[in-house]
Amino acid sequence: MLTASLRGMLTHRLRLVLTTVSIALGVAFLAGTLMLTDTMKLAFNQLFGKVTAGTDAVVRQEAAYSQTSGVAPARRPIEASVLDRVRKVEGVAAAEGSVSGYALLTDTAGRAVLAEGGAPTMGYSMPSDEALRGDVHVRTGRAPTGPSEVAIDATSADKGDIALGSTIKIMFSGPAREFTVVGTVGYGDETDLGGTTAAHFDTATAQQVLGAPGVFNEIQVRGADGVDDVVLAERLSAVVPDGVEAVTGATVAKEASDSITKNFMFLNIMFGVFAGISLFVGSFIIWNTFTMIVTQRAREIALLRSIGATRRQVRRSLLLEATVLGVAASVLGIGLGAGVATGLTALMGALGLSLPSTSLQVQPRTVWLSLVVGVAVTVAAAFVPARRAMKVLPIEALRDATPGARTPSKRRAAIGAVIAALGLAAILNGLYGDGGTTLVPIGILTVMIGVITLAPLAARPLASAIGAPLRWRGFPGELARQNAMRNPRRTASTAAALMIGLALVVTMGVFGSSLKASFGTILGESTNAELFLTPASAQGAGFSSEVSKIVADVPGVSVVSPTSWGTARIGGAATTYSSVDPATIESALNLEMIAGSASRLGSDGVLVSDEKATEKGWTVGDTVQMEFPTSGTQSLRISGVFAGSGFLNGSYVISRATHEANDPARLDANALVLVDKGASVGDVQDRIAAALAGHPDAQVLDRAGYEKQVGGMVNQVMAFVTVMLLLAVVIALLGIVNTLALSVFERTRELGLLRAVGMTRGQVRTMVRWESVVISLIGALVGAGLGTGFGVALSQSLKGDGITEVAVPGGQITFYVIAAALAGVLAAVGPARSAARVDVLRAVVTD
Amino acid sequence: MTSTTTTTVSAGTAVRGVELSKKYGEGPAAVVALDAVDVSIETGRFTAIMGPSGSGKSTLLHLLAGLDRPSSGQIYLGETEISSLKDKQLTLLRRDQIGFIFQAFNLLPTLTAAENIELPIRIAGRKPDEFWVRTLVETVGLTGRLSHRPAQLSGGQQQRVAAARALASRPRIVFADEPTGALDSRSSADLLGFLRQAVREMGQTIVMVTHDPVAASYADRVLFLADGRIVDEMHDPTAESVFDYMKSLGA
Repeated sequence: MLTASLRGMLTHRLRLVLTTVSIALGVAFLAGTLMLTDTMKLAFNQLFGKVTAGTDAVVRQEAAYSQTSGVAPARRPIEASVLDRVRKVEGVAAAEGSVSGYALLTDTAGRAVLAEGGAPTMGYSMPSDEALRGDVHVRTGRAPTGPSEVAIDATSADKGDIALGSTIKIMFSGPAREFTVVGTVGYGDETDLGGTTAAHFDTATAQQVLGAPGVFNEIQVRGADGVDDVVLAERLSAVVPDGVEAVTGATVAKEASDSITKNFMFLNIMFGVFAGISLFVGSFIIWNTFTMIVTQRAREIALLRSIGATRRQVRRSLLLEATVLGVAASVLGIGLGAGVATGLTALMGALGLSLPSTSLQVQPRTVWLSLVVGVAVTVAAAFVPARRAMKVLPIEALRDATPGARTPSKRRAAIGAVIAALGLAAILNGLYGDGGTTLVPIGILTVMIGVITLAPLAARPLASAIGAPLRWRGFPGELARQNAMRNPRRTASTAAALMIGLALVVTMGVFGSSLKASFGTILGESTNAELFLTPASAQGAGFSSEVSKIVADVPGVSVVSPTSWGTARIGGAATTYSSVDPATIESALNLEMIAGSASRLGSDGVLVSDEKATEKGWTVGDTVQMEFPTSGTQSLRISGVFAGSGFLNGSYVISRATHEANDPARLDANALVLVDKGASVGDVQDRIAAALAGHPDAQVLDRAGYEKQVGGMVNQVMAFVTVMLLLAVVIALLGIVNTLALSVFERTRELGLLRAVGMTRGQVRTMVRWESVVISLIGALVGAGLGTGFGVALSQSLKGDGITEVAVPGGQITFYVIAAALAGVLAAVGPARSAARVDVLRAVVTD
Repeated sequence: MTSTTTTTVSAGTAVRGVELSKKYGEGPAAVVALDAVDVSIETGRFTAIMGPSGSGKSTLLHLLAGLDRPSSGQIYLGETEISSLKDKQLTLLRRDQIGFIFQAFNLLPTLTAAENIELPIRIAGRKPDEFWVRTLVETVGLTGRLSHRPAQLSGGQQQRVAAARALASRPRIVFADEPTGALDSRSSADLLGFLRQAVREMGQTIVMVTHDPVAASYADRVLFLADGRIVDEMHDPTAESVFDYMKSLGA
């Protein structure tokens, strides 16, 4: 039986190749994701290990809790007096206070030197003890000394074309200052710290510009020779005051690396999802192939059965075939995975998410997981066709069985309809009932499964309707339509693969454009600001509070109201809060206050959304316990309840002063600007831009510009997701090629007859091409329809999170459908050619 | 072997093969299926080609019908030399001037009987001649079965649909390759009767390859092939005379 299986596989090489590739692509994505994750982890470990190489122990404030974002959790500063105590501990060879904080470099022309996407722009103190610097070393020039010197990371020096000796301005959360560049800094072999731009100052200067005099962020300690790090940390712990801890350098490196790896976790999840989608789509092609194998081989199987093969043996032989295919495809996929990992890195790089480089990591786990998943998907997809093969009767060896189309059963219709209805009910309940919005994505998945189940029933009428205009394409067009209708199951499962891909792409499209439209509406409805101050780049962390002060002095500006945001925990749950300027916010932003007022926020007040207030039973005057990562739990008094969400993040709003008190690293995220009555907005914008010439950390935008900037960010994310999803579409197209190739093979005699009675090669090609287009369009149209519905449902379900508008990008969806039809033409090229080449005689001569 | 035939006198020649040879393979291993055959098919007559298996009769039919190309020699359909035509021209020629009936698989399973009959005309993008098609359908006795698909028709009915199809576009000539090979004797008689009727009453030219003396007896003229050559011919044959001659060939 084994040799029979293997021979069977090798006879149809094209089928073998297409099926293998369709699974291999999914596996490649999975393997690539795993490789990328491991590589990233290793790279960051190496990087942070090097940076803290010379530090044996660190003394720092205990963090209230560790934030999930940011290179290091924000901690309260530590008093300089602790340093004296630390230095007296036995076994301490050297100890220095270190300071870090926001610092944005500008080049000699005054332009901001932006960090590679995601990475922060930072300033650091440079220890005078060279060993404490670890692998942070001066590459050219020298270390900075004194209040007007800086050393910068070599990447920024190169990118900003900043020569040693030049004078540059650096932005801080406080006032900007000018410095002379005296050196460039490297980090191990890297020229930057994972994309971070870095300004290094001597410790005293760093205290002034990054933190505050008399305090440090932490104290770095180098132990004497022969003193164990753990022992050293223990000794230090004994002498430090309450709330201060001592940990080993290795712990700090690991924390830093873990934290940044966690930041990239969303990418892993996302890529994992894409790998899953690809494999799912690929499984349709496997299913198709094995169904066709079973149909075509019905006689062969019957013959085997009649000479004594048991049902089990028949099934086993097919599943064995699937296993061999799965292994081959997975091995190929793992190989391709390296390419995928490299490609994804490049893609992220193009989007500004650069990752530190190290050699590509292929862990054993990657290999076995990819193998297991690839084989499991293949065998699972082949299981139903294999069961069908079991049912082939020995007598069928004698029948002249033409592979017939079985009519889909009523049971299938019932099951499919029930599943789809359940899914729809879940979506509706999620949107309008009390089931919660998490029901919506679950409902979407369920509807999808229902539709896939129903697809074989719908394929015939759909092919008939979609193919109707083909009558005008003459007789080959009409035949194409009928061919697409002949085997509804095959047409359905071929189109289903494309349907899934397109449904997802369109869902994202609708979601993205709803997001953009909602932002426009929020801007229009909630604020009367004419101008907006935003960070210089979409990835900028924020801008100095100095910016608002500068802008407030510009003639024609009536109000500048900066806002920002941060994270805290309330009742143990992480939540986002906004911070505003109590004096100006209500004149710039319509908070739709239900009770109380923003102007009464003061330094211990909080505004809560009416939703939260209702949920928790809060009223004005009640106390809310907010736990900040830096300062721990604070009691805040509710000074108002607001209904106008959207522009501000989250359900809690605190004052700027409260924010600063609990998070010294705060920056303004944006600011709303109102111009004087009668003043020209354009003129004021120009004047603000001029005033901010020395502050490239911020820019001024009018309403349209702001919408465009946010829209651009949305587009970028959507483009990224769409590119990933297109892989599923590519796999689906391979499925169409596969199906067509098999259909052409099955219909050799028909094609021969048509050629004999006068169909030209061109007409044969046209026929196959249009059949392909019909199948593609079934997938594309159903997919686009589903995707539109899903996108609308998804957007609706996020109403509470600020997606107030639902926008369907008609042009974009039309483009996808047309592109799918064209792709169908492309998929038909090969099969059409082989159909046109059918030998007339071989087809019509009875042997 | 010298041919005892005279291939001249007739109203006209529908198709003519000159020095037709067909070789399969190369060098000493080559198999000669047809060896320098000269043949001429008269217009408005029913010609049968007979011969034992491997005599080259099907090969000759395929060459004359433009389904295959000779290794050497020329084929004239009317005045057109077809062995040198390009595939497209040859295809259009088959479509417009030649009708086919094969032994089996004559019909597209997805099309109804009526659609199958009109197939070559529809492929050409023309409108079928309704009156002519109805006449054909009535003659072959398929009225009432026109909306059936091939799977719903008997073997004999299928072959009659094929015959109607072959005649529907009023081709210059119809080639039939063992059209009764898969039929029982009654269905065969129906089909052959129809073919003879088409020749006698409609002036159709038909060439049929068969190995059945009874089928050959419906023809006006029988050509006998053996070892790739035309060895003899017979006019106004009867089943017995053909059978006897075949026996002598086989002996």
